[in-house]
Amino acid sequence: VIRIILILALARASGIAQNPDPAYGALEQAYASLREKNYDQAIAGFRQAIALAPNRASIHKDLAYALLKVGENEEARDQFAEAMRLDPTDQHVALEYAFLCYETKQQAIARRVFDRIRKTGDATAEEAFQNIDGPLAEGIARWEKALEGSPDNFSAHQELAALAEQRDELALAAVHYEKAWRLRPGERELLLDLGRVWKLEGRTEEANCVLLAASRGEPARVAEKARELLPARYPYVYEFEKALQLDPNNFELRREFAYLLLEMGKKEDAEREFQKLNQMAPDDLLSTAQLGFLRLNRGDYAGAQPLLDQVLKGTDDTLADRVRSALKLPQLMRHRGTTAQRTSEEAKSMAEKSLKAGYLKDALKYLSIAQENDPVDFAVMLKLGWLYNVMHQDQQAIKWFKLAAKSPDPAVAKEANQAYHNLAPAFALFRTTFWAFPFYSSRWNDAFGYAQVKTEIRLGHFPIRPYISARFVGDLRGTTGSTLSNPAPQYLSETSFIFGVGVTTLPIHGVVGWFEAGESVKYLTSRSDVGAMIPDYRGGIAYAKGFGHLLGGAKGFFFESNEDGVFVSRFQNDMLAYSQNRAGYTFARTETAALLQAQIYFNFNGTADRLGQYWANYVESGPGVRFRLRNFPKGMMFSTNFLRGVYTVNEYNPRRPNFFDLRAGFWYAFTH
Amino acid sequence: MPSHIKHGSVGQALSPANRIAAAALLFLMTIAAHAATLTYHIAGDDAGPWPQILGSIGLTAAAGGPANLVVVRNVAPGSVPQWMQRITEGEIVVLEGESELAQALGFEAGKKHVVVRSMVDEHAPKLPIVWKTGVDIPVFAVPADARIFATERWEGAPLEAAVRRGSGAVLWIAVEPGRQGYERFPYLLQALSDLGMSAPFRSERLWAFFDGSYRSRVDLDYFAERWRKAGIGVLHVAGWHYYESGPANDEYLRRLIEACHRKAILVYVWLELPHVSEKFWADHPEWREKTAILQDAQLDWRKLMNLTNRQSFAEVSKGIQALVTRFDWDGVNLAELYFESLEGADNPARFTPMNADVREEFQRLHGFDPLTLFEPGKTDAAQLGTFLNYRAELAGRQQEEWIAKIETIRESKPNLDFVLTHVDDRFDTSMRNLIGADAARVLPLLDRHDFTFLIEDPATIWNLGPERYPKIAEKYQPLTKQTNKLAIDINIVERYQDVYPTKQQTGTELFELVHVAAKAFPQVALYFENSILAPDLPLLAASAATVDKVQQDGRRLIVDSPYGVGVPWQGPALVNGRQWPVHDQTTLWVPAGPNIIEPAAKDPALRMLDFNGNLRSAAASPAGLEFSYQSNARAAAVLNKRPQKLEVDGNSTAQPLLESGLNFVILLPRGQHVVTISMTPRPLDRP
Repeated sequence: VIRIILILALARASGIAQNPDPAYGALEQAYASLREKNYDQAIAGFRQAIALAPNRASIHKDLAYALLKVGENEEARDQFAEAMRLDPTDQHVALEYAFLCYETKQQAIARRVFDRIRKTGDATAEEAFQNIDGPLAEGIARWEKALEGSPDNFSAHQELAALAEQRDELALAAVHYEKAWRLRPGERELLLDLGRVWKLEGRTEEANCVLLAASRGEPARVAEKARELLPARYPYVYEFEKALQLDPNNFELRREFAYLLLEMGKKEDAEREFQKLNQMAPDDLLSTAQLGFLRLNRGDYAGAQPLLDQVLKGTDDTLADRVRSALKLPQLMRHRGTTAQRTSEEAKSMAEKSLKAGYLKDALKYLSIAQENDPVDFAVMLKLGWLYNVMHQDQQAIKWFKLAAKSPDPAVAKEANQAYHNLAPAFALFRTTFWAFPFYSSRWNDAFGYAQVKTEIRLGHFPIRPYISARFVGDLRGTTGSTLSNPAPQYLSETSFIFGVGVTTLPIHGVVGWFEAGESVKYLTSRSDVGAMIPDYRGGIAYAKGFGHLLGGAKGFFFESNEDGVFVSRFQNDMLAYSQNRAGYTFARTETAALLQAQIYFNFNGTADRLGQYWANYVESGPGVRFRLRNFPKGMMFSTNFLRGVYTVNEYNPRRPNFFDLRAGFWYAFTH
Repeated sequence: MPSHIKHGSVGQALSPANRIAAAALLFLMTIAAHAATLTYHIAGDDAGPWPQILGSIGLTAAAGGPANLVVVRNVAPGSVPQWMQRITEGEIVVLEGESELAQALGFEAGKKHVVVRSMVDEHAPKLPIVWKTGVDIPVFAVPADARIFATERWEGAPLEAAVRRGSGAVLWIAVEPGRQGYERFPYLLQALSDLGMSAPFRSERLWAFFDGSYRSRVDLDYFAERWRKAGIGVLHVAGWHYYESGPANDEYLRRLIEACHRKAILVYVWLELPHVSEKFWADHPEWREKTAILQDAQLDWRKLMNLTNRQSFAEVSKGIQALVTRFDWDGVNLAELYFESLEGADNPARFTPMNADVREEFQRLHGFDPLTLFEPGKTDAAQLGTFLNYRAELAGRQQEEWIAKIETIRESKPNLDFVLTHVDDRFDTSMRNLIGADAARVLPLLDRHDFTFLIEDPATIWNLGPERYPKIAEKYQPLTKQTNKLAIDINIVERYQDVYPTKQQTGTELFELVHVAAKAFPQVALYFENSILAPDLPLLAASAATVDKVQQDGRRLIVDSPYGVGVPWQGPALVNGRQWPVHDQTTLWVPAGPNIIEPAAKDPALRMLDFNGNLRSAAASPAGLEFSYQSNARAAAVLNKRPQKLEVDGNSTAQPLLESGLNFVILLPRGQHVVTISMTPRPLDRP
């Protein structure tokens, strides 16, 4: 017997040691964390305990208290609610819940719970109830009085309704929510308030209708909130009808209703609704098309035609295709359909045709479709680059060239890369241009050199760019020596480096304006007519444009014009006008020869100035040839011109009034 | 023990060979010392809204150098293997919608589509997130191991998810974030944080408004720590709850102030005159303000008193004096002292002041009772204009009167800071007529009185984006030379306007607001502490930090900031070549201006772990540390060791010392001072 008793005792002890409470471990950890004020861990422990023993009110209560410590009042409220549900006799929990409802803006619930508890004789609940109810009653009386004086006071109706709802005076709340909404139908949140109150009042049918109205159309937030309050099922027809009676201008609601009628086979009713939609928003292509189809279906061609025409002219291609299909017209080519590859090929072919016909916008549309359907077609990317370039949209062009430069096809990649690098400097923050033009002139028996290096700063889309510049203007001979009429030696060039800062405009139809200020530094130490460094201001406008088949292009005739108006301070603030024009023929590019391409042409040049100085007033003309050589840099161009000229001002001219001049030199420029 | 203490002992005890190993280890540790995400890179021609999103917590675009956060907007053909490798090696990559890379990672568009109008985000699952315009997107399949952050609300389609690959991670979103960066996914930055991105800088200079009625049962020490971590430097506490003395309330407030001081947070009393207190309203019905329908002016939560009445003013003045002197406040905030309401004269039921004193004074000055303006059919625009001018003038007079009152209180409490909170009426010019607020009248007072002018952005513009703050700042520049005394208040509340995606500012929208405001104004306040949503707290201090320049130069980090900033840092550091004593285990605090930070061999024994004030300079000394500061209120310094001796401007002084866990907090005087703190008395001081 003793052994049996011992066994039973041990079994009981071991049972106690094992503890049948599944939440024991979690709770023990939670309480330990709570003692250490490690609330986050305590909360996690209580949650774990709840998962293991969900029906124990005390754990919900302890979790709620822990949540209160970290300020999670809403969650704490919900835990007290759960504890209250599990143990309705615990008045203390009910009070905690009610207080937290009050603190978390659920005043109506707080008032209801306090009201329930106070009826059991609880003084705390009584006081809390009065603290809530008294101000609500006062507020209602105050706003009712305010409305006596101004019955159309929107905010008074709104405030009164809100207070009445909190005091569970639902009928009063509904009346004033509705009045407020009628005063300001744009305040669609009031539809939600009205629906919520009607629902609480048990007016479910009306509530659903008003919530249905709120759930369609804008604002999106109200629509989403209304959706929460609506039943999960799809609305009934009569609910649509009632919602539309309440909110007749709700376009989205009416359109959905119209489609619902169509779905139900009620074509006449649907047509009536689409007719209303068309009157409400004549530009809405979807309802216009639908009304057109309905009329077409019942043989009202005259009624349907203008509507369908409107859709065909509209911007919705998909809809337009449906109209075409209904009217048995050929379809527009679509972005997506059949297979992407096939669409891409069709699009490329259409783009080619459009390009040949000169329809650039169409070509762009088709190339875009081709690219969309076959995004790794690098040849299409390259074409898009060229097309944008031709359309003067270089920012787009550069994007496509950059992409096409990644092509596995070396030819495509090379061409794209070259094009990209040609365009890229224009979009870089800094753009440095260098040009040089050395040439020999038989007339002066001298070699001249002109050169400039210039760095521009791009200021976004601002049409003016500042720059810094260094120029060189000089010659080998230096001076012509003194003459009878001019005892001082005459210098043939400025023989200087000119350093300056300036601004230039972006070209507009080939015209550029510029101005710079700087210092001119002479490099001829023996030169005595100017100081070693003199201020230099210059500026002007320049126009340069070529027509026809220019060098670098295909063979054919061409014409080029360079017109410059220049102000130069060092020439006694003179203003000079230069006109240089060439008309001639460009030969085809050779495939392998050293001579890459050549032009022959005739020059027509003229120069004039403000001060009427002889050296700046002459005209000249004569033949010339320009060419590029294969193994030389691509920015290098050689030229030889034979010119016959005549001075148009001969006052102080120490020379003959006319001249021959053979000029030979090369032009070299690059941009980085 | 902190790792820097260990470095010192290792350096002294190890053999030369081991020292080399230790040095290598130290080097590796110092590389990791500032391994926060400083920069990002955007792959693709169009950066979209990403610079705003990432910039809102201080991340800057990588200038050619490496970046461990990359937004891949365009995936170049054939580049998927490289991207996969970079992810595996530790990069965090962000992807939008469909792409070859997304597909390779397992984010694949299905045939089914869903129109997304609202979504649920795991960072705030109960928060309604609604998109202004629905977007039709395919329903994506996501990898089995993906962590889904956000789903479409009704169908549950994944919208934001992440996967980890190797030591890197990918954040994928189903559609681009929208023009401003917050229209669709408010918690992108939180998701990136979850994946390992850490914000580059911190600021703990934010002000926040606080109402004890929302926090009556919280653990105040827990909250003080949380506020400090969120970058809050000053708490403006609703003072009307403590206007009348009561044991429980007073005890709560004392505990609150102590808890804040222990975490180096300063506490200002926030007054909302002409609301005085519930009890004052109940006890003095004779001094209640009246609306234009002659009802007592209980408007929203405020119960307004008639402060034009001299008896009422004297009584309230006495009460305010008692309130300010009864507690250990660091400052006073006199807020919103003008009239009601935002509906102006259009709504007589909310229009104030219409008490007998005002009506009488106005009638004496202008010959008619202003109440007649609100009689039906008797509205006269010119007469109304006269009254609105008088009303704005009266508000100005009352503000001046109360400023003078606060100044007299400061005579006995010289460390008190003073703030005047005033709604903006320059950007939204309707405010003068609506509520009588006239900043142009008040701002010249900055030349005569020492206070901060806190501009509250009016409810009417809460729907506008962050770009409004530089514009508001511009409007105030011409009105005062004291631009360093201007501050801006951001109201984080449910806005009455139709705003998206969230009714109140949270996530990226909040960070953009705070960041742009912090760049435009020297001081930013948030209304209010309780409305800041929990997911926003960890990144709030980062959004408040403003840095003009950051440059990583090998082991050196160069940081230039206008107001001083906290830099993520672990271990000892040199700042501008000097041993730097101002840092804790994760953050190193540098003063305003350019600073060069680099790893150091060992830490000084006495360090300042946190400082609330404008730190000007700091240096470790053999006996402790020295620093100089400027502060409009008291300054709070948190030290890692108990100080033995304290000198302010060369004079030994006994400032209040609080114990804060293992640390110690000293409250230092207001103004500009040089402080020397010694751990042990210097030899010369010994007897």
